[in-house]
Amino acid sequence: MVDIELKRDRIVIRYKEKKWDWVLEPRYWRNSIIWTSVLLIFPVFSYFVSPALINTMITANIYAAIAIPLALMTIGTGRMNFGPNFFIGVGGYTAALLSIAFGWGPLLTLPFAIIISLFSALIFSPLVIVARGLYYVLLTLLLPLVFLEVTFIYTDIFKGDVGLFGIKPLVNTGNAKINFLLLAYISTAMMITYLLVINKVLKSRYGLIMATINDDEEVAHSIGVNINKVKILAFVFSSGMIGIVGWFLAHYFGTFAGITYLPLTFMLKILLVLMIGGRAQVFGCIVGGYFVAFLEMILIRTLGPIQPVVFPIILIILLFVLPEGLFGIYRKRRYREYMPTLHVRR
Amino acid sequence: MSGLLNVRNVTKSFGGLVAVNDVSFNINEGETLGFIGPNGAGKTTMVNVLSGYLNADSGEVEMDGVNITKMKPYQRSHMGLSRTYQIPRPFPELTALMSVATSVLCGKKRRNQSLDDAGTEATHYLEFVGLFSKRNILARDLTFYELRMLELARALATTPKLLFIDEVMAGLNPGEANKAIHLIARAKEEFGVTIFWIEHVMAVLMEAADRIVALNYGEKIAEGTPEEVANNEMVIEAYLGTGWRTYA
Repeated sequence: MVDIELKRDRIVIRYKEKKWDWVLEPRYWRNSIIWTSVLLIFPVFSYFVSPALINTMITANIYAAIAIPLALMTIGTGRMNFGPNFFIGVGGYTAALLSIAFGWGPLLTLPFAIIISLFSALIFSPLVIVARGLYYVLLTLLLPLVFLEVTFIYTDIFKGDVGLFGIKPLVNTGNAKINFLLLAYISTAMMITYLLVINKVLKSRYGLIMATINDDEEVAHSIGVNINKVKILAFVFSSGMIGIVGWFLAHYFGTFAGITYLPLTFMLKILLVLMIGGRAQVFGCIVGGYFVAFLEMILIRTLGPIQPVVFPIILIILLFVLPEGLFGIYRKRRYREYMPTLHVRR
Repeated sequence: MSGLLNVRNVTKSFGGLVAVNDVSFNINEGETLGFIGPNGAGKTTMVNVLSGYLNADSGEVEMDGVNITKMKPYQRSHMGLSRTYQIPRPFPELTALMSVATSVLCGKKRRNQSLDDAGTEATHYLEFVGLFSKRNILARDLTFYELRMLELARALATTPKLLFIDEVMAGLNPGEANKAIHLIARAKEEFGVTIFWIEHVMAVLMEAADRIVALNYGEKIAEGTPEEVANNEMVIEAYLGTGWRTYA
């Protein structure tokens, strides 16, 4: 049976012949507590000051919630996936179609969205074994674009041109402002859960194994890592997490159209979140998500029509100026990690 | 005769080029087997076949009575087979301690081991190769000699029964090479590993090896004690060419 033991600085978990240490370090908790409370207070604050900010915050949380699993996927497979939005499409369309066809609410569609995302990820998971480098990038880049074509070809099912509507909303209290407040909290909770889970995975032995795969697959294989298993698991589970974001998007807007999430523009935004936050660092994804969402909002309000040109230019300049990302600036100043950090080369 | 590892009639060809042709030998437990041959003789191909990177076209490899011909590299590693590389291949973004700790975690299965325990055990291997003071340095910042030693530590940390050493001398100066040779001899004593040592430099194996197998153009040309192999006509021809007597 699982045997849990509390020691002075750690929780020791034993199961059969395995043992895990969960090191508790309260001295490092200060910043996490401060930033979590900032995220929790912000929606209430903007509820009274400027309710439109809540909308931007939800967008930022969604960007972060896509980028964090993508960071895990990038490290765990040792390859850069350029089509994470494929799984947003899968999760979103599953939720939307089920909700419209059977009138199901969000809680009923959630398990199906997860299962179908995991299943489709499992179907495409051989990609991480057979393809590497540029070929993997090209193949993953094609996935969402092919899916977009499919939504147009079978337009009587997917409504590729106008989008599906009539999806049951995630929360319905009758008051639009309170609805938004609740949605902000749900998205924040989702993002923070992803962050906690994935940060814990990356700091554990499994993260170390993923780091070796990221560095040199063949050597990892020769020291006894079952690389195919690790790569497929990383791919499938992070895809499932991205699928849940698709489910959230479908129920959040009440409509779902592949043309919004599947094209290259949305994918580019996610990749920039990942890179500007700090090269596939999970904490950087949040910084990047909030930065990109708020920059977009400010530019739309101030610049208007030339925003689509200026926005990517600013982001690409930042990519060159900040090679380590926004979070990298902070990390360089205050390096306090008890485990070495993982970097992504490819 | 059966040893720790039996290689029977292994053939491996790349297209038209036969890199290893019908080679058979066995490695007995506790010995140091030298493996020599001129450039392009198929030594590294042989190690790649034995460690599982390449599949043999025909022939069988047997370890401890288990046929491992079709096994994947990680399964062979769990069986107790480990290797180092001719050109060091460290994990550049991991610290020395963490790369050895991964070997401890993933090599042969240990009971009740957490990540912290693996780190503690890894320090032992780092101490053995003399890298304890460099444990928190990223592998990409280590020198060439230190990378060699890190690789040895990483290979030993999987607790192998049989260790393949691929040209440990290449690129080391005489002082460093000497240290490396002594370290390998100590590793054999302390960890009880059997060593399969590929080397270019004959002088090293003449001292260290118990037996030597010589390879040329993918075919085994000699097997025996170092003296026998060194005096073998075919081995001398392989190294010096056919007309060597006229200049001798």
